[in-house]
Amino acid sequence: MIAFYRRFEAVLVGTASLIAIAVAWQLAVDNGFIDPFFISTPLAVAREAMTQAADGTLFVNISATLHAFSLALALAAAVGIGLGVLAGWFRDVEAALDPFIWFKYSAPTIAFYPIFIAYLGYGLPTVVTVGFLFALTPIYANTLAGIRNVDRDLARTARAFGARPLDVFVRVALPGSVPLLVAGFRLGVGRALTGVVVAELFGSTAGLGYSITQHAQLMQTAPMMVSIVAIVLIGVALTQALGFVERKTDAWRVDAE
Amino acid sequence: MSHIQFRDLSVSYRRPKSDERFLAIDRISLDIERGSFVAVVGSSGCGKSTLLLAAAGLVSLASGRVVIDAAPVTGPGGHAAMVFQDASLLPWRSVLGNVRFGLEMRRWKRDDLTERALRHIRMVGLGDFADYHPHQLSGGMRQRVNIARALAVDPEVLLMDEPFGALDAQTREVMGNELLRIWERDRKTALFVTHDIEEAVFLADKVVVMGRDPGRIKDVVQVDLPRPRSPDMLDSETFVTIRRRLRESLAEDMASLRLVTEGV
Ligand SMILES: Nc1ncnc2c1ncn2[C@@H]1O[C@H](COP(=O)(O)OP(=O)(O)O)[C@@H](O)[C@H]1O
Ligand SMILES: [Mg+2]
Repeated sequence: MIAFYRRFEAVLVGTASLIAIAVAWQLAVDNGFIDPFFISTPLAVAREAMTQAADGTLFVNISATLHAFSLALALAAAVGIGLGVLAGWFRDVEAALDPFIWFKYSAPTIAFYPIFIAYLGYGLPTVVTVGFLFALTPIYANTLAGIRNVDRDLARTARAFGARPLDVFVRVALPGSVPLLVAGFRLGVGRALTGVVVAELFGSTAGLGYSITQHAQLMQTAPMMVSIVAIVLIGVALTQALGFVERKTDAWRVDAE
Repeated sequence: MSHIQFRDLSVSYRRPKSDERFLAIDRISLDIERGSFVAVVGSSGCGKSTLLLAAAGLVSLASGRVVIDAAPVTGPGGHAAMVFQDASLLPWRSVLGNVRFGLEMRRWKRDDLTERALRHIRMVGLGDFADYHPHQLSGGMRQRVNIARALAVDPEVLLMDEPFGALDAQTREVMGNELLRIWERDRKTALFVTHDIEEAVFLADKVVVMGRDPGRIKDVVQVDLPRPRSPDMLDSETFVTIRRRLRESLAEDMASLRLVTEGV
């Protein structure tokens, strides 16, 4: 029993605190501290979630968001890792890309959403583009750092054994960059989800973000809360899954010292 | 003809944050016989590592040349294997993978790589640890892997730069004995840098003393102790005499260093 508790301590405590919040929320509304008009109640949200699950709405919204999210993340990973590797190995590539990266760091991407809509219209292309741009920078920057920080002693050892530059790249720099690359990807996952949902809020006609805007405008709090909770759960599930993958790939580095 | 010949060898480095260059080693000439074990001692910064890097073809020469097996060294090739003080193992590869790494870089044929790597892992006494990763090994074990990796590629020349420098005294002694045991099998020409005089005398046929500013050879001492070496030789008259001579050679260097420091 105690061993079981130790093993799942974080999950158990986390679940308990979620339940506590739900109870507090319900009690606050029942006792008239908060107007349910603004945040509904856990019971009403649960009931609404059942209805949406039964008629398929929830599934349609979730799959639209996940579809856009997967496309955005896949694109960001392909482009971010590709460019990051090139920029990490060739300094001229980094210099050429630097202005764009600085621009992306300093200017909020979402401010440009009218331009995306003008060119790409309301819908998937705009949503994917925003999600892609959100996720691109951390994936690129971490990949670059991973390649650039190749262990000098290892590179020298490889050369002492006759490794050519390509060998050093493939056998030393690339595998050595995996922990940072995974960390960048993990950041990218959160950013892609944020980007997709934000773009759906005002640049789309489908997905959880769109559903939030829709119901918010019609003052339908419970259906709106269902979509919000769905987004939170998706985010938590993705982060947990990635944390697990990251611990696997990172084991040798964490234990090293 | 000697197996390794250093002829009027100079190597210069750029001083940090300037274009100025300085000589790390200045016109060194040294002959190393095939199958001999030569130790290099000297205070830190006198160019011991640079001498080894030159033999490995890992630095460019300011003047002179290094000839191994009658061929001038022009770059890191198949002739020498290097063992650095820092074991420099790939942390994501197992012991087996790390020993294979040297063979892969040397482009050995695929089929017998694993077999050959395992044979050398057993030779350094790590037969039971082939699947371990570097972070699961002690410093001494990592250095054994490092040595196995170098020997597995069957180099003409074995270059070792303070391989036991980071180990505690006891492990160091064990490793020295092990190294000799392995070396006795096929007596590869070996160049071994250490800052430990006793270790140098115990292992080597010849001890080279280097001095600094600029890096040069101050003394070369022949060690006429029979092989295989054994720990009781540490008290022999020959050993004690050589040790005293080396200490004196090195002390001069220390004295001049002290003068410099006190002058400041
Ligand atoms: N890559 C380098 N760049 C500049 N200076 C160096 C470099 N490597 C070594 N040196 C300098 O050259 C001198 C000799 O170094 P080294 O051969 O490492 O000496 P040792 O191994 O005897 O301590 C030292 O003064 C050291 O600071
Ligand atoms: Mg050194």
